[in-house]
Order: sequence, then structure tokens, then C-alpha cells
Amino acid sequence: MYSRGRWCDFTKYFELKKNNSMECVVQGIIETQHVEALEILLQGLCGVQRERLRVHELCLKSGPSLGNVSSEVRLLCDLDQPEPTWTVKHVGGAMRGPGADQISVMVRAMVESKVSKNALRMFNALGYKLDHELLKVGFAFHFQRTANISVSVSSVNKMPKVHAIDEAVPVTPGMQIVDVTAPATPVNYSEVAAAVSSFCEFLAPLVHLSKPFISTGVVPTAAAAAASLMSDGGGTAL
Amino acid sequence: MPVKWVLHWQPNQGSTVSSQILNEATQCVESINGVKEGRWKATLNYYKPLLRDQTNQAEFPRDFLGISLADQPNKYYFIIRSQRIVLEADSSIQLIMERLQSYKSKVALYFEGFQYQLGDFRLRVGKVVPTHSENVRGIVMEVEYLPISSMEKSRKVMEEFLEIWHEALSKRSLPGKFVNIDLNFGEFGLGDNYTPQHTAVRYALVMAHMIATVQAVRG
Repeated sequence: MYSRGRWCDFTKYFELKKNNSMECVVQGIIETQHVEALEILLQGLCGVQRERLRVHELCLKSGPSLGNVSSEVRLLCDLDQPEPTWTVKHVGGAMRGPGADQISVMVRAMVESKVSKNALRMFNALGYKLDHELLKVGFAFHFQRTANISVSVSSVNKMPKVHAIDEAVPVTPGMQIVDVTAPATPVNYSEVAAAVSSFCEFLAPLVHLSKPFISTGVVPTAAAAAASLMSDGGGTAL
Repeated sequence: MPVKWVLHWQPNQGSTVSSQILNEATQCVESINGVKEGRWKATLNYYKPLLRDQTNQAEFPRDFLGISLADQPNKYYFIIRSQRIVLEADSSIQLIMERLQSYKSKVALYFEGFQYQLGDFRLRVGKVVPTHSENVRGIVMEVEYLPISSMEKSRKVMEEFLEIWHEALSKRSLPGKFVNIDLNFGEFGLGDNYTPQHTAVRYALVMAHMIATVQAVRG
């Protein structure tokens, strides 16, 4: 799903400086039964209104003869707006090497652009085909804590037929994905990573967050933590 | 957004476009009391696919172009005219295209010149030059009618203005004329209310005509 380019040269990061084209990311999973408790916790931590999340994500891949290497691009359609809005997103390689190993979040190249509604037609015309698509349904919080951080909690759903959003079913019933992301630049990525990392510690009782593709499973004591949050509406410190 | 027509200079058979014609056109605007406001610039890129196997070239569009418009500094527009596709994006889409490494800009052109206010009209006259050359490949003229954003409602006043313009320019006995191309915006999914996407499509069409003119001269 992600382009895994080689990207461990720090000097290259500075070329991207003017484009603010990186992000810090962690992910985790949580049982659906504990999502309400997580929402209460997030509401208390973030201090902002939660936003509904309903995003149709289409992953397109270049055809066999296009480009010297194959490439992928994601089209995101926000279905929660009165009029669906589209974004094109390119996710590049993650930082590697000793520097990256010392950071507990993934730092990777990422560029996105809002686009008008013809994006799918255009990329199809350019030789990109649909590889897979998902529907993410849940909620998100967007707030500032040293960095601009976004936390989303969503069920990931697959479609039995192409673009059949209304027939989407969960990929992992009973489990939801927690994503924490923050945009970064080559100049500030370590600060942003530290902000994300520090924020994630508050969520530890309910969900363990780590670099994507390095799954650590659910938190075994989440049930107790959730019960505590639900019993007093989140007023008790964990 | 105000309605805009984009005209291009069509030289007479046997003559070519030059900076001299641009100077004459600019002077003509000033002679009908156009007030110079400053410079303007737009950039156009022709993209070609990078292919592992050249025999598949026909599968990919030959007229994929991108344009940044003077009015919209944070936006970028893609057009595939043959398939009637136009897309508006943030400027960051150019970085995405670079990172995909599937298409590369092979030809880049600037449209640049001066901008004038003339009553309720804004005019931009400019030359078309490759980015690393001063060789004038064409001349364009934007005519914008500021009070109206409906193309249908503005048609009459635009046509009347162009009559005045043609008459003023004809006194200079230049070897050619400015031409406006009508097109069916509905085919591109665009409506009567004018938008920057309309301008992007107009520029794509102007380029197609300019290329056809050059090819006809060479032929």
C-alpha cells in the first residue's frame, strides 16, 4: 500500500523543507467495545469537538509499463461533507537508519493536495488503476499540542463490489484502528515526533500506538481502563 | 469569478509572430486608455509519460498539460483536452507528480506581459516563450469583464468590446488578428458560472491552436 522508497539521506530532507512534506505517524488497534471510553479520554485530552469521519479511500497503482518504477497514489473522498471533497495523497518512504530507530514514531514523506472531483477520472486516464479501496468510518480529533496532531478512530471496511460504499463491511469486525498523525518538515520533524510520542503516552491505558506495520496488539488491561473511564465519564485520572 | 476570454494571435499566411506585434498590441491597449497595472505571468507544462516500453505509448494521453494561472497562485490545473478532463488542485500536486516519477514535464512555457484596467474590463497581453528562451512562440490576450460571472449574460458585452478592439488594432495594419475560440465547456463538466477551470481549459485550447498553426506553417 505504501511506496517503500529508500529515504535515509538526511540531506534530502532539506530539499523538501519548502514543501512541508513529511508526516509523523503511529497506529494501534482497539476493540470496538472500548472505543467509547477512548472517545471520552480523547475529548478530555484534546479539548476540541470531535469530528465525524467517513472517508472513501481509493488506492491507485500505475500500470505495468508506466514509470521506471511502479507508483501508488491515494484518492480520499470525504463523504461527511454536504458535497464530497477530494484529496490526493502520496505516501513515500519512511526514514531509516540509526536516527530513525531512536524515534518511536514513523517519520515519512507525505504530500497531499485538495483536488476537484475529476481526480479518479484523470488518474485513470494517466494509466493508474484501482488497486483496492476502503471505507473508513469513525471519528477524529484535530488539535494543537506543540504540533498539529490528528487522532482518528475508525473501522476499516471493504466493498464487495467496486465503489459499493453502501455495501461495505468491516475488515476486522470488533476491532478499530487508531491513527495519530502530524505534519512535519525536515527542520522540525524530531520536535513533532516528540510531541506525538508524548501525547500517545496518555492513550497507553487503552491503546498501544507504534510505528505502522509493527503491531503490538491490544492492551490487555484496556477493559479495566475503559470501565474506569465509563463509570465516571472520564473524570478519574488513569 | 468574472468571465474571461483568452484570445491568441493568429498570424496571416506566410507571416510569423514576434515581439513587435506584442509591442503594437500593448500600445493599442494604451491608446484606448488602458491603465497599466503591472506584470502578469502564467506557466504551462506539457507532461509526457515515462515508459518502460515505448510501444505502449498510444495508451497514454499525448495532451496532458498542467498550468498555473496568475490569478490563482496557490492552485495548479491539469487538462487532458482529448478526454475533456480538467482538474483543479493545490500547488502541491506538482510535488506529487514529481514523486510519482511516472510523468515528466518535457516542455515548459511562460505567458507573460502587462495587465491593464479599462473601465469594467481587465486586459492582459502577453507573449508565449519557452522557459529558457526569449523566442516568442505566440501572443495571448486575456479579456476579463469584471461585473459578470455568467458566460451567457456576458457574451454580448464581450463581443461588443472585441469589435472595438479589432477596429482599434486594424489601424496598425498588423499581419494577423486576435482570435477567440468558442468551446463547449459542458463537455468538461463546467457550467455557465465562470471559474479558473474554464480559464485552464481555454489555455489548453489556445495551445492546441498555436501548435496546429505552427505545424501548418511548417507543412
